Amino acid sequence: MDVLESGVGEFRFTDPDEVRSWMRTHKGREFVDKTVSEAEAVGRFVADGDYVSFDFSSFTRGPLVLIREIIRQGRRDLWYCAKFTLMESTLLAAAGACSRIDVGFMGLGDTLNRAVEEGKIKVSEWTNGTLTLRHLAGAMGVPFLPTRALLGTDTLKYSGAKVVKDPFGGKPIALVPAVNPDVGLIHVHQADVYGNARCFGPGVSPLETAAASKKVIISTDEIIDHDDIRKDPAKTTIPYYMVDAVVYAPFGAYPGGLPGVYEMDFEHFAGYYAQERQGNLKAYLDKYVYSVGSHLEMLEQRVGLARLNDLRRRATVKEGYR
Amino acid sequence: MTKDDTEAEVMIALCARLLEDQKTAFIGFGMPQVAAILAQRIQAPQLVQVFEFGAIGPTPLTPFVRNTMGGPSNCYRSIAWTSMNQIFAQAQIGLMDYGVLGATQIDIYGNVNSTMLGEDYQRPKKRFPGSGGANEVASYCWKTVIIMMHEKRRFVPRVDFVTSPGYLDGMPGARERAGLPADTGPWRVVTSKALFGFDEDSKKMTLLGVLRGLAPEQVVAEMDFKPLVARRVEELPPPTEQELRILREEIDPARTIIGRTAKA
Repeated sequence: MDVLESGVGEFRFTDPDEVRSWMRTHKGREFVDKTVSEAEAVGRFVADGDYVSFDFSSFTRGPLVLIREIIRQGRRDLWYCAKFTLMESTLLAAAGACSRIDVGFMGLGDTLNRAVEEGKIKVSEWTNGTLTLRHLAGAMGVPFLPTRALLGTDTLKYSGAKVVKDPFGGKPIALVPAVNPDVGLIHVHQADVYGNARCFGPGVSPLETAAASKKVIISTDEIIDHDDIRKDPAKTTIPYYMVDAVVYAPFGAYPGGLPGVYEMDFEHFAGYYAQERQGNLKAYLDKYVYSVGSHLEMLEQRVGLARLNDLRRRATVKEGYR
Repeated sequence: MTKDDTEAEVMIALCARLLEDQKTAFIGFGMPQVAAILAQRIQAPQLVQVFEFGAIGPTPLTPFVRNTMGGPSNCYRSIAWTSMNQIFAQAQIGLMDYGVLGATQIDIYGNVNSTMLGEDYQRPKKRFPGSGGANEVASYCWKTVIIMMHEKRRFVPRVDFVTSPGYLDGMPGARERAGLPADTGPWRVVTSKALFGFDEDSKKMTLLGVLRGLAPEQVVAEMDFKPLVARRVEELPPPTEQELRILREEIDPARTIIGRTAKA
């Protein structure tokens, strides 16, 4: 195949046979109880320097409980996949936890933009769609997938994509390399103790992220019986053998919402934006991460039952989320 | 009444009028969402909105809630909930009629920059959040509509960074030569003062209409390049009472997107 153009962006890539070998040896097929605390999950499965991906968004069904724990444990040099990210990337950067970002959409607010301007964070340019496609390639066990996006743009130039002549039709086509994240973080509505997981509502790529990632931590608002999974298998989003840890975390998406269960906390976000604009995210992190020992402690001491009940009260649209 | 309209209301109303009923429209975050809902409430009740995280055909609950694009009120009564790979595949195969996007900077060929300002990519003078899904939308949808504030610094001869493709260098067939899907590209640019299209041959941005009360020269004076001007420049009526009522009372009473009037 003739390579017509190559992007100069650095990218994470793992040989598909290495991925297969990992899946063979590390992804247990045994039905074992994988429930652990968020502290144990992050302690065991997230290492300095890891490539980290998540689903779905800071506002909706995002694994914020796990992001906060990563920050609390002081991870460094993470390479964060910012597909559809709004808040997580900013928090990780403000905490000094990540040094590289694959940009789909970097986040709201100027903290990250300034960090890039000052050279503190290295970025590669992608798009939401091509980052998600890279996960699909990683989830399929193939080294790349073709796309008709990126073509003709500077986004391609600063990505790791290549343009080749399509060997079948002859037109130029972009190829994006597979990504197999070291860690996939996914918050779900329900999971059993083995890691069979259900997400309700639209999402970016929960299944692709789980399948592609070497280590997968699921945080879940509810634990359900394994029998319930078998009674309604069409509802299963992620099968258990992809999952390494299950963290029972009610309100795990907080301050984001979980569709049909609780709304996002607008007041919290307003406060967050105000502190972000003042360059005061250290204070935010102190309050919600460093000064509390766990997610439960944060909910009890920094949010409170009245606020949590109100967020549940506001989630009046239930249809489709069961 | 007219002098009370906010710039956002003008942009949203002008954009909403472009969207035909029973068409598919790939909708970006923010103003495009409000324009699509307005179109649904007036001439296009069965406009099929599509979002990048896979929701197809929602009829969003109002008042519009900013931020929760993937949440229950915005995804209310959809036709299907899919995923990002599925929905971009549907756009790539040619099922999306419109793409509606906001933009930071645009050039005469409709190339859009939402990545950075400056000469050096590694050390940008100003960094922005990046493509998001805009590159896909601008690559795949049949007709891309771009909504922008009408400011000189946003309409530049050449964007510093081509985040999402317009007609590239403007040469005939440039998009197809790059490998982009045939017969796609920017179709309209909607601003707070005017409506633009693109010349069929030269692919240059072309002034099609100006807001009532403005002269074409006034509009062009606030751009850093000279667009072509249609032989007959249409007069665009400002937002109607009906449009304003729906925007202010039904969709966005908190005015998070439409903004405040000068008097308020």
